[in-house]
Amino acid sequence: MKRRHLLGLAATAAMTLAALPAAAADPVRIGYTMARTGLFAAAAPSQEQAYTLWQEQVNARGGLNVAGEMRPVEFVSYDDESDPAKSAQLYERLITSDNVDLLIAPWGTPHHLNLAGVAETYGFPVVGNTAASVAIREVAPGNIWFPTSAIPDRIGPELAAMLSEAGVGSVSIIANVLPFGQENLGFLTPALEAAGIEIRMSENYPPDISDMTPLITQIKAAGADAVIALTYPADAFLYAGQARELGVEAKLQFMLIGPTIDAFHKAFGPAADGIVTLAHWSPEQAAWPRAKPFFDAYVARWGQAPDYLDSALAYMSLEILEQAVAKAGLDRDALREAIATGTFDTINGEVRFDGVQNAVTPTAFVQRQGDKMQLVWPAAIATAPLTMR
Amino acid sequence: MRNTLSILCVTLAFGLALYFGGIAAGPYWQLVALNLAMWIALTQSWSLFSGLTGYVSLGHVVAYGLGAYTMVILFREWPVWVLIPIGGAVAGLFALIVALPVLRVRGPYFVILTFGLAELVKFVLLAVETALGQSSRLMFGAPGAQTLLAWMVALAALATLLRHFVGVSVFGRGLIAIREDETAAETIGIPISRYKALAFALSAVIPGMVGAVMALRSTYFEVLQVFSPTISFTIVTMAIIGGAGDARGPVLGALFLVALSEILRGVSPQLYLIFLGISLIGFVLFAPNGLTGLLRRKTS
Repeated sequence: MKRRHLLGLAATAAMTLAALPAAAADPVRIGYTMARTGLFAAAAPSQEQAYTLWQEQVNARGGLNVAGEMRPVEFVSYDDESDPAKSAQLYERLITSDNVDLLIAPWGTPHHLNLAGVAETYGFPVVGNTAASVAIREVAPGNIWFPTSAIPDRIGPELAAMLSEAGVGSVSIIANVLPFGQENLGFLTPALEAAGIEIRMSENYPPDISDMTPLITQIKAAGADAVIALTYPADAFLYAGQARELGVEAKLQFMLIGPTIDAFHKAFGPAADGIVTLAHWSPEQAAWPRAKPFFDAYVARWGQAPDYLDSALAYMSLEILEQAVAKAGLDRDALREAIATGTFDTINGEVRFDGVQNAVTPTAFVQRQGDKMQLVWPAAIATAPLTMR
Repeated sequence: MRNTLSILCVTLAFGLALYFGGIAAGPYWQLVALNLAMWIALTQSWSLFSGLTGYVSLGHVVAYGLGAYTMVILFREWPVWVLIPIGGAVAGLFALIVALPVLRVRGPYFVILTFGLAELVKFVLLAVETALGQSSRLMFGAPGAQTLLAWMVALAALATLLRHFVGVSVFGRGLIAIREDETAAETIGIPISRYKALAFALSAVIPGMVGAVMALRSTYFEVLQVFSPTISFTIVTMAIIGGAGDARGPVLGALFLVALSEILRGVSPQLYLIFLGISLIGFVLFAPNGLTGLLRRKTS
């Protein structure tokens, strides 16, 4: 009896020991900061939820492949209070004090561009995501990469080309004075003029605008074929709500940032139908086999659709990092080389970098059509034709 | 004389401890030391005007922002060490120009006016940047964190000494007289307009230089960030918690808030804000003279 008991104990111990190597593999510590409080707090969850989903998926399938060795993923994260300078300081803390193995990106362009300085100082490779500005081209290549294709000097000509092909002859423009709105306006205006599209009105508005009635009244009076609202998320909701109340009857409405957020669709329902916005990803694109599973997993985990721009970019950046780490491990020089020269299979199709930029993904636009967000431009990746009112 | 010597020695010792302590503790703590020195410099400068005159300014971020803006637009043209004093001069000059209309009002009107002025400057510069097609600016190749820490500690020490020596000077006593009773001060012959304008301009110079140095900390510059009203609010909060009665207050206030933020950051960022709110209410109700008031009460 006693012997059997001992044997049982020995067997249990042996089984535990056998299981130990896999469970005891050192976790890969990945650091980031997120705007959990402050100005960008409402926009950041769509990015962090994609991070969490990826972490859970990777750990569920046995860990992150670090040059052949499977290791669990552990996040070390801080709230940067929406302050880019604080974010940069915390990234230095992650590198020098927390000694993380990898870094992933914070939310938004200012944070990314501040992080670029830190990445350069410490020679730490980072795959960015939610940054979009022509300013990224001023960043020396080598330590940070930007998978987005939503760069204003490409958006302007592409939008003008799409409107021209759709037979739009005139537009009214309103633009938020914040950097992304103004950069887009700067490239869009000459592109529209070159395409022979008449600009009936073009007005700027402050970021904290609380009433757009005067602007929308002007838009209605101008009676242009299309309205281009260069919005940020908060004013996108304001514009869409007031444009509906005041009955803007343009054939086409384009809004810069906002309509890709699930809450936007929930807030406006059928009234959001037909709105065109900026995004280069859609789960409807069958040529990207990873796209639909990501969408389904995100909906199952969070009970809402991912943001077609931020969540998709955040997840893409992790896929790129995952594939580079599988090839190069955690050595920074090898990882830098792997990211800079590799070709990656992502939810947004193939991605490759030329300097700091994504050299493959085209600048694209999506349109809300019923319950779906369809890619409507450019034709090469379109999932449905553009519809006009 | 002995008092002067001891103030000089304490400031020097604290400055050296901050600089070498920050460096010895490693790169992250170096940045914490930089932040601490920044807040000390800003709060001392604020206290120089608002602590002495009782005119509570919610617009000190303008000086900081103008210094930063000067650095950013001239970064590629002139050497950094020239631009830091220029940043201070621009801020001081601006304060001198606006002093005349702004200092005509007192009490809550002055508080609101300075806050409004800061917002006005922010949106005017935003419009200028928009018109120039410069929605954001990037700066690469700034001096390293160790150099910035040295400059910032020097500015904090300078601000502390300035606050102390102005406080004990005839000029400072004139400012205190203005705080206690402006009409009486004028009656006994204190040139109140000149004194107030001079103190206002003087209190903007160091924040201008601080802004110029801090601009070098970030790779990215955007008007909305460097003119953020949070900077002004934080300065006032530190002054309330530390006490604006003498030069020790801003140091204690900055130390308290920076330490609180570092301790609670890992635990819960929301907890930091809750603690901050509770301490503010607590200090205003039970220790209106801040930490220095508590210290004084204990020693007496």
